[in-house]
Amino acid sequence: MNDKMRAILESKRLERNRLALLPFAEKIRLLEKLRDRDLAIGNSALCQARGSRAGRASMLRETDAGNNPCS
Amino acid sequence: MKETLEAIRGMKAENIIGAYAIGGAVGATFYLEPLATMDVDVFVSFKGQADSALISLAPISSYLKAKGYGFRGEYAIIGGWPVQFLPPADALGEEAIAEAVDTEVEGVPARVMTAEHLVALALQLGRAKDHARILQFIDAGVLDAGKLDAILARHGLTAKWAGFEQRFLGRSK
Repeated sequence: MNDKMRAILESKRLERNRLALLPFAEKIRLLEKLRDRDLAIGNSALCQARGSRAGRASMLRETDAGNNPCS
Repeated sequence: MKETLEAIRGMKAENIIGAYAIGGAVGATFYLEPLATMDVDVFVSFKGQADSALISLAPISSYLKAKGYGFRGEYAIIGGWPVQFLPPADALGEEAIAEAVDTEVEGVPARVMTAEHLVALALQLGRAKDHARILQFIDAGVLDAGKLDAILARHGLTAKWAGFEQRFLGRSK
């Protein structure tokens, strides 16, 4: 790993720590924004076009299909 | 989310539910950075119910329907959020509810599972996303190792934890 990548990962870690330290109510507001964004993506034309293909793929995945905005 | 918490408070006030605790991604968000999720998991204790062998979520459904909330499958839709009310699967689930942490969101009280119980439950479930969440908790440094060890030992999860450590953290058993 080069210095540039190390710096990027460190900045991501610091941002995650900053977010983790926010008051719970503030994190809930961010969580609601994340969910609204996922729902908007899920309703987008691209996701709609993926249709049944995405549905079938989500059934085959072990990870939670509920977290996939296109599922 | 505030409406969800207010609905829960209403159910508690009217003795529809007893102790409860928020788990899942919303619970984890109490300790970590906000985690994208589509639903809210609320674990509800039925201890003390007349016949605890016949656990029923019907009183919750009836209460929410009477209040005008809709349902989609097993989810109640409260304030736009799909909310799943779950009975604890075993003693670990019961303990996670009993030892939950009191907090509040915009003035509305809320109870959230401890970080250690969330990790123990994730280990017990053992799906890929549960393992990923455990790693997030470890990375964030929010776990009390002694408390977690005691929970794992109490609920027969010590060997499973050793396997997790070996697989994901490269630590030998």
